[in-house]
Amino acid sequence: MKNLMMLFAAAALTVGMSSVASAQTAQGTLTVNATVTGSIQLVFNNDGSGVNLTSGAGTSTATLDFGSVSAFGALGSPFITRNVNGTTSFTVSTPVDVQVTKSNSSSANYTLTAQLASADATNTWAVATKPVTNAAATTITATGAYGSNTAEAIAITIPQATASGTSISNTINFTASAN
Amino acid sequence: MSTWHNTRSRILVAAAFMLTSASMLAQTPTASGTINATLTNKNGIALVFDTDPSGVTLGAAGSSNASLSFGTISAFGPLSPGVTRPSVTAASFTVRSPFDIQVIQGGLTSTSYTLSASLAGPAPTGLSYKVDTVTLTTAAQRIQANGVYDTDVAHNLDLVVSTASPGAGGPAVGTPLTATINFTATAN
Repeated sequence: MKNLMMLFAAAALTVGMSSVASAQTAQGTLTVNATVTGSIQLVFNNDGSGVNLTSGAGTSTATLDFGSVSAFGALGSPFITRNVNGTTSFTVSTPVDVQVTKSNSSSANYTLTAQLASADATNTWAVATKPVTNAAATTITATGAYGSNTAEAIAITIPQATASGTSISNTINFTASAN
Repeated sequence: MSTWHNTRSRILVAAAFMLTSASMLAQTPTASGTINATLTNKNGIALVFDTDPSGVTLGAAGSSNASLSFGTISAFGPLSPGVTRPSVTAASFTVRSPFDIQVIQGGLTSTSYTLSASLAGPAPTGLSYKVDTVTLTTAAQRIQANGVYDTDVAHNLDLVVSTASPGAGGPAVGTPLTATINFTATAN
């Protein structure tokens, strides 16, 4: 009886080995190549003390709408700061957060510049109190810190002689460069 | 008489030759033989890589030894055609390309196959490779348990890249980084 059981066990083992040996397989090799390069990204975020971006928060293309502004009347948002400059002009300002993120870079900080997309002969634009025109890029900071929101005040100075209902619009191009 | 005899002989010889030739043409000898061929049908399966319509064009597509180049990749910059970037976090970013695997079988009763994959060697610093949801190592891992034969099956190849700078755990930059993935299809 014991011999019979051993025979069965041997037979079962043989069958099992045969089954394993006959498993059909096929191989393939895929070689994967990639070249990593360092990069940085700039996005605009809503500032807790500023007017919310109309669109594009969290992206690199955003829109900021001050709404209707005036030298003395009510403003559309409590987050707009207004300074009246005598009888000649008034300035409205609100902060916008700029966040620059780096990847695969050993850069310690970045330089941020701003430039108007088109000339404005009537109004004066500023970012972080630095005048911004379309003639040349203005350096806003030379030591920007990566990975955190930095509030940058966007200001427009408007002559008091401006006709009521005048629409003021321009685009400010920001550029962050890794140092 | 002699001349006539010679002429007649020539005519007879010529006639005999013509008859012989005609006879040879009419009765072309033939030979026949039989070959008994024996064929043993050997069953088996094969694996090939194909370019996925939504992915990077493979090198040596249609073979079992192909290549896939992501080109230059970054967290925020432009990518090559066929490459997407499904995820960017503070710690890493992922670039992806689908590719197709086709397993062909012949002479088997198997109706499906199991696909496994492994890295041929350790991944370059700061990189990890995923096929579908499986993060690859040098040990074979199952990718698919019930692959269908004779059709292109799309898989995603993800390259997960640390955003750390070189020397701080991130990958080397500006230099091609290569890994080899070994795939095995086993008939179920």
